[in-house]
Amino acid sequence: MKVSDFLKKLFNLGFFFFSASGLAVSASNSDQQLMEVACRYEMKVIPNAKSESPSNTAWFFWRKTGMIQTQDADGDYGEIWERTINGSIQYRKLYHADKTAVEFMPADIPTNNMTFDWVKLSSMLSQQELDALKPVKKTHFLGFRAELRKGKIGDQAIEVLWLPDEHLPARIIRNDKTGSMELHLVEFEPLPVAHKKPVAIEEIANYRHIDAADFGDMENDQFVKKLMAEEGHHH
Amino acid sequence: MQFLKKLSVAAVTSVLTTGVAHTAEPTPEEWFNAGRQTVIDAKHLNPNVRHAKNVILFIGDGMGISTITASRIFDGQQKGGHGEENSLSFEKLPYLALSKTYSVDQQTPDSAPTMTAMVTGVKTIGDSLSVNQYVAHSEPNGNVIDNNKLTTILEQAKLDGMSVGIVSTARITHATPAANYAHTANRDWEGDADRPADATVPDIAAQLVDFNINGGIDVALGGGRTRFIPNTITDPEYGVAGKRKDGRNLTTDWTSKHRNAQYVWNQAQFDAIDPDTTDHLLGLFEPSHVHYEADRLAQDKAGEPSLTEMTTKAIEILKKNKNGYYLMVEGGRIDHAHHAGNAYRALTDTQQLATAVQAAIDKTNPADTLIIVTADHSHVFTIGGYPQRGNPILGLTKGVGATSPDLDLLGFPYTTLNYANGPGYTGASYDNKSQIIQPEGPKTFTTPMTPAWASGNEGHVPSKFDPAHGRPSLDNAKVGAPDYLQEAIIPLGSETHAAEDVAIFASGPKAHLFHGVIEQNVIYHVMAEALGFAEQHPANEHDEEHRNKSAKHHR
Repeated sequence: MKVSDFLKKLFNLGFFFFSASGLAVSASNSDQQLMEVACRYEMKVIPNAKSESPSNTAWFFWRKTGMIQTQDADGDYGEIWERTINGSIQYRKLYHADKTAVEFMPADIPTNNMTFDWVKLSSMLSQQELDALKPVKKTHFLGFRAELRKGKIGDQAIEVLWLPDEHLPARIIRNDKTGSMELHLVEFEPLPVAHKKPVAIEEIANYRHIDAADFGDMENDQFVKKLMAEEGHHH
Repeated sequence: MQFLKKLSVAAVTSVLTTGVAHTAEPTPEEWFNAGRQTVIDAKHLNPNVRHAKNVILFIGDGMGISTITASRIFDGQQKGGHGEENSLSFEKLPYLALSKTYSVDQQTPDSAPTMTAMVTGVKTIGDSLSVNQYVAHSEPNGNVIDNNKLTTILEQAKLDGMSVGIVSTARITHATPAANYAHTANRDWEGDADRPADATVPDIAAQLVDFNINGGIDVALGGGRTRFIPNTITDPEYGVAGKRKDGRNLTTDWTSKHRNAQYVWNQAQFDAIDPDTTDHLLGLFEPSHVHYEADRLAQDKAGEPSLTEMTTKAIEILKKNKNGYYLMVEGGRIDHAHHAGNAYRALTDTQQLATAVQAAIDKTNPADTLIIVTADHSHVFTIGGYPQRGNPILGLTKGVGATSPDLDLLGFPYTTLNYANGPGYTGASYDNKSQIIQPEGPKTFTTPMTPAWASGNEGHVPSKFDPAHGRPSLDNAKVGAPDYLQEAIIPLGSETHAAEDVAIFASGPKAHLFHGVIEQNVIYHVMAEALGFAEQHPANEHDEEHRNKSAKHHR
């Protein structure tokens, strides 16, 4: 996957979930208990094309048992994935300033070939991706055990500084002919003592919920109009 | 010779009406004779002037005429014929009119005022369900709603001792089904949590279950489960929490308030329902809308019945009432597929609606059952170019005698089906955070960039586009794929409804009253005439009664 594809991706975890073979259905993913964490990541994208500018973004990542939540640095937009008791994954986009959640309902998720790999959601990299990268050396990061891994997936060179006990990357660097992308872990706290917590499920439950499939019939809805025309494109 | 002539006419007629595979092309004489036979048949049409015992109203949501034509061809080609000579089941109904769909305040309407027009006989403003035009949008006061509500054909049927049913592939609380039984000035107030805190008008789901005219609604089948269950319990299929905050479980309310009542949520439970012993059936097969027909069998975990199966089961239950029944059946997701710019799912859902109509025809007596098939509004969906006869409807346009696809002035091939606007625009698309969704070129229902969405709709609802540079290079494999989004001229996040007239097909008692170009609200009046309600309610009583009670609010 080319870095240029992500030049304008600011706060989305999606690129971490890329796999050459596509994502697996979630139901069969491991139930391994992972540490509940609160992290902040910064991402820098440097395109090779002189016509395009570098970008810097920051976002929060929270992992709890059965829940992954992200939120951009300004706090307005996020995403949440929840694993339900029967193994389904409920996915919603969150618009905190509008107290609105956009749902992608089960009938439309498979239609769109949207599949979520719970392991990748939880750790940003799948085991298969990690296995494709060769261990280079063992080291430490912020006092945690770390492994430097390098390799190539497709035509993209990837370097990962992996935290094996936390099951998270401290750093991911991707390089291809279009440019480079660097992701850095800048803050890490165990979730129970984190200074910045995710928005509570109970609070999200009080948000207005809209089925994404209904957007076409909501042409007069102020939120939908704003969402579909925000920050109009300028030349 | 006369016998052979009649035989050949029959063969041509058969070709023209069914698209029989591998039938030889008609000769000029056969074309002529088939055309003549159509006129002869028309001369023998005998209007059924009796009253109807039953009325079935089929709605293809967003099923404009171009959708019907394309679906006809698609269906015919799937049967092995050229396609153009095919007829969908409802196209064979003998009576036809065009319906003007505008609402009181919209040139291009939405489903709420259009269905209101069809089931109450009165046009109203956008987003309103069976309340008159004097009620402001989002009026929260239940008393104002009560004073301005419009009586629906379903309510009148219950008052008359008939049984009633609502079937849809959308949420059963969505605008089209809801207009039959609910009254509200905001179609989005489907559950109690969707309303503002000060609203005293009941939510739509509660209005369905609490409907209390003569024993309540008898059959309701569709999607929308989460608005019927409280947030303290989880969905049985997916484990997500219900959405009701009032603590009510409307599914158990349904079974407890009715005798011989059942609630089902999956295929196995649905199949086990015995119509002979079930008098009230509530079926909610998804948390929200049900699957597109193209995806239903492959994708649904617990299994859900098709629109045809729901229609058949509903008729089997309702027909037990010797007073007759009113049934509304909606193919609700034709509209969604068009909004997404995906012709394949619009056409396959239209096919399923046609199958449901045929099932209803097979299960009813044309002498006493009025069947109407229509749409609430159209979409900006076009069939263009000069493709040769039998050209694959989803494919690239190839002219008569051509050996390769036709080319535009840029030198690129193009499809027969396109949209005037929508997410199929070929410039690079971005979400509201300026994250690229799909690069410049043809668009698909899914994003090839990343499985985790950056957009807000089924695969591709952009907030921005880059201008397209020319047109993409297409091939038949690409454009024939189910997930392909046909090109759109004007870039929009969702494709829009269209304002042109839609068709009304009808058969049975009083069906001949559909003729010419009529206002959409006339549909109610034909049904009322057929059921004998028109004599009970003189023409001006409806408007005068509600004008006296109106709050005179204007949007």
